[in-house]
Amino acid sequence: MKFFIDDLPVLFPYPRIYPEQYAYMCDLKKTLDAGGHCVLEMPSGTGKTVSLLSLIVAYQQHYPEHRKLIYCSRTMSEIEKALAELQALMKHRAKELGHEEEFRALGLTSRKNLCLHPSVRREKSGTVVDARCRSLTAGFVKEKKERGEDVDLCVYHDNLDLLEPHNLVPPGVFTLDGLMRYGEDHKQCPYFSARRMMPWCNVIIYSYHYLLDPKIAERVSRELSKDCIVVFDEAHNIDNVCIESLSIDLSEDSLRKATRGASNLERKIEEMKSTDAEKLQNEYSKLVEGLQQAEQAREEEQFISNPVLPDDLLKEAVPGNIRRAEHFVSFLKRFIEYLKTRMKVTHTISETPPSFLTHLKDLTYIERKPLRFCAERLTSLVRTLELVNIEDYQPLQEVATFATLVATYDKGFVLILEPFESEAATVPNPILHFTCLDAAIAIKPVFDRFSSVIITSGTLSPLEMYPKMLGFTTVLQESYSMTLARRSFLPMIVTRGSDQAQVSSSFGIRNDPGVVRNYGSLVTEFSRITPDGVVVFFPSYLYMESIISMWQGMGILDQIWNYKLILVETPDAQESSLALETYRTACCNGRGALLMCVARGKVSEGIDFDHHYGRAVLCIGVPFQYTESRILKARLEFLRENYRIRENDFLSFDAMRHAAQCLGRVLRGKDDYGVMVLADRRFERKRNQLPKWINQAMLDSETNLSTDMAVSTAKNFLRTMAQPFKAKDQEGISTWGLADIERHEAKRKAEEARVMQQEFANGNKMDGVVTSAVEVVEDEYDDGIDEDMMMLDA
Amino acid sequence: MASRNGVDRRDDDEVCPVCKSSRYLNPNMRFLINPECYHKMCESCVDRIFSSGPSSCPVAGCRKTLRKNRFRAQTFEDIGVEREVDIRRRVMHILNRREDEFDSKRNYDDFLEQREEIIANLVSRIDVAKTEAQLQAYASENMDSIRANQALEEEEASTFQARVTKEQEEARQRRQAERDRLDAERREMQAGREDFLSRLASGSSADAGKIAREGHKVLLKKSSARRSEEDRIRQKQAALRGSETKRTGTTLSSVEKSGDSGLIKGLRKIKTPEPEKPYDPFMGYVPEKRDYYTLKQSYPSGYLDRIRNDPQAQAGGYDLREYYSRTLLEAFAGLGVFVEEEVTRRDVSQAAATEGAAVAVEE
Repeated sequence: MKFFIDDLPVLFPYPRIYPEQYAYMCDLKKTLDAGGHCVLEMPSGTGKTVSLLSLIVAYQQHYPEHRKLIYCSRTMSEIEKALAELQALMKHRAKELGHEEEFRALGLTSRKNLCLHPSVRREKSGTVVDARCRSLTAGFVKEKKERGEDVDLCVYHDNLDLLEPHNLVPPGVFTLDGLMRYGEDHKQCPYFSARRMMPWCNVIIYSYHYLLDPKIAERVSRELSKDCIVVFDEAHNIDNVCIESLSIDLSEDSLRKATRGASNLERKIEEMKSTDAEKLQNEYSKLVEGLQQAEQAREEEQFISNPVLPDDLLKEAVPGNIRRAEHFVSFLKRFIEYLKTRMKVTHTISETPPSFLTHLKDLTYIERKPLRFCAERLTSLVRTLELVNIEDYQPLQEVATFATLVATYDKGFVLILEPFESEAATVPNPILHFTCLDAAIAIKPVFDRFSSVIITSGTLSPLEMYPKMLGFTTVLQESYSMTLARRSFLPMIVTRGSDQAQVSSSFGIRNDPGVVRNYGSLVTEFSRITPDGVVVFFPSYLYMESIISMWQGMGILDQIWNYKLILVETPDAQESSLALETYRTACCNGRGALLMCVARGKVSEGIDFDHHYGRAVLCIGVPFQYTESRILKARLEFLRENYRIRENDFLSFDAMRHAAQCLGRVLRGKDDYGVMVLADRRFERKRNQLPKWINQAMLDSETNLSTDMAVSTAKNFLRTMAQPFKAKDQEGISTWGLADIERHEAKRKAEEARVMQQEFANGNKMDGVVTSAVEVVEDEYDDGIDEDMMMLDA
Repeated sequence: MASRNGVDRRDDDEVCPVCKSSRYLNPNMRFLINPECYHKMCESCVDRIFSSGPSSCPVAGCRKTLRKNRFRAQTFEDIGVEREVDIRRRVMHILNRREDEFDSKRNYDDFLEQREEIIANLVSRIDVAKTEAQLQAYASENMDSIRANQALEEEEASTFQARVTKEQEEARQRRQAERDRLDAERREMQAGREDFLSRLASGSSADAGKIAREGHKVLLKKSSARRSEEDRIRQKQAALRGSETKRTGTTLSSVEKSGDSGLIKGLRKIKTPEPEKPYDPFMGYVPEKRDYYTLKQSYPSGYLDRIRNDPQAQAGGYDLREYYSRTLLEAFAGLGVFVEEEVTRRDVSQAAATEGAAVAVEE
């Protein structure tokens, strides 16, 4: 299908388009034209990715700037999906236009996923793959080979040097699998092909971390130009990603390993001194001159990265007291010993980086300045020593990263030392958390650097929270509702059990037998009436375990067994994936199954329960975070003091976005249907914090139900859904053809013209100046948007 | 340190190398070290051996004489680091130059490296005697600067401490205020709801809807009013805080630095500030200055000589010198202005012109 938005011709790979997709594209184009950031919430399963891609590709091809698209997603499967969509889109474009466009799109993921080397690819852990790959591809290894020494090299990597550096892969869209196949056929390394081709790509698709984690971003995303269009898809958790990318946990064990790493380094230095003292001397004189920045190391060879953000990168020479390798090692040792003494404390401590630094200085005379250069100095040393088994130095690197971060940032970070794992534990297992509290720190360079950043997801409500937390301003924030020809999902809030006693997972009553029984009967009833799959979400693993064991005692599980197979998610990824597989098999067999999982677990985030895999989702209790955690408390206080977000507001926002994510799991498209049940009395008040599309579909009469009422409503709903429904019924309402778009456009234009005319008349009446009338019209238009937003905010 | 660290946790099977008693038998055992030789022994051994005065170290092969008062608890697990830190403490006390005392960053870095080198030498026992002598010489030479820098450091530490405590106190107050506010809000909500219920109960059933609407509106209005009030207060406080920090943010005055020494290179030369010049209201213009001529007492002239001796002329206060100065000024006025020169900016020496003029006058 081909249509125009303003003057932009858009080719859409499907014959029909959803109205919300059309609105989404219009708003996207507005944002790109205005050149700013935006926050867009689009219901899950309405083809967000394809509308995004088709608009931006059209934009790229139509306008002469050819702005590059950086599309960031969360998981590998989502990246693969987006690439496949893009491939289909480009095929459609080629067919429509009659010629292939000069277009390159590549996805990037870790070495572990892309490696072709016969023995390296068999490694299980990602860090091992990285380390082994480096030992086969690093520049000095190659030099050694050229000198005639007997070292192994990776053939796939070497073959790249034979090709033209800007034409490693032909134009076109490569999915990750496709790239692997191409690499296999041409005997070239897919990972490095993708890395090196990045500057010549029109579209890059990779994970958030390549842009947000300063340790990686500096290397991978450095040469992207300013006018790139950056898209964060599934971005409802982006603040946590930002925070995690700058947080470090140190345990006693890792410190012990770091000490060992430091001793190894010392030994290597001694060795090198006796064999090749010149190299160390070279490094030393380079550092003296402050040339470390200008050093021409190929970026992909960097072993240990600097965790400091680009703005803060120091363009100074390394301080004198860590210039010499042996001094630096003794410096590291002292720092590690200091951390060890801190670990011996038996009570919880929380302190700010400045006070940590003062204490450090009192005790060991380590000053802030050399500490800041720790990570960089270590990189340089590792490179000079030509170490190959980098994975042994991982803990040491962590300590160096920690040192650099703690000395760089005064505000927005906190150090928390927890000597015991839990309240009840008596055997100490101290962990030093260095936690970032401010999500804006990590994402700030992205907003500063790129002119258009688009944050989008199925659940972003309340929209104004994200600009606040991430510290940016938007030109547009919009939430779309879902147009439906029939009511295909049924959100309900259950506040009472059948005995009219209120149900809630609040701490005081969550283990009351009455509440547990009511929850049990709710689950039993729904497993009785729902065909195929049912998914149940609990607030935490702990609560899930306790409630399941109580249900076992009450015989509730036995009742459920009559209708469904019961499967449970566990913290272990492999067990969970097995459970998931069994669940799918059971659903396909027609009997159906019940999956119990946790609202913050893996299942709630990435896994879709489309069609018969999920006909009902039950959210038992409000999925609040564990509020007693010190880290969370520190973050709440920080948010209150700096962004003026109140504790309760943030907690409830966070709980509701997870609840909405859980609910969104069952509805993955317009022909899909499902029941959504929120079972807690506290949901009644929080209804407005749900995404617009869920909230709008919820009738007022269904916000305060008891179990039996909910069951009968759901029964009714499922019966309606079972009636035959033809795709033709949707046309014109929830799916638009070209004619519908034109009709909509004409209507909009007529409306605009009418408003304009009115204003024109008014303007003429008032002062008779024609030009001012146009301005008035524009003002009026803006006001309209504002009003809409206010409605949303309210 | 001990207070900050709390109780040390050690393994149960730790054994004192001197008396061989283990922690299993004596759970309160504490280990001490002496910075003479860094041999570890338990507290009771220290009491037993060193109570009656200095004695030699009980560890085989070590013949250092130890005193009881030098024994202390160990800070770091690694004895090597413990010793290094002790040495470092001593050296840092002496070589405590600051970055602003150096000409360039490069020199400061060289100094840092030199200091590191000295410490490393002392730690690994290379050239100990020579290094010690150097240090001593430096210390006695630069007593003043060392002391001044120490004072500076202490001052910095204490201001930092003060700032931290102030910040903590402020944070605590803010937290308290927030809690109070939440409580007040909840109470108010409660009161509002009760009031509204009682009104519902007492009013007639006809205007129940009206009362309900009103009650809701009142609650909303109250909360929005409270919020705007809070905003106002907070902004005020922020403004206050800003001005305070500005006031307290005065920089520390630099302390006078002492003379050069042989050990450290690249120290900044100390400049004595030039004494301030007296105030000049004319900004360099001297009113009585003559550029091209010198005024003589008298010039030979038959015509003027008469007046000089004429009491009639002098009675009115007429002074010939006045006349001379005025005539000469008029004659030479504009001699310093060279139109051509100003137009073409040619560099003709002005002194030559002046000289010529002066000669002309002499004639």
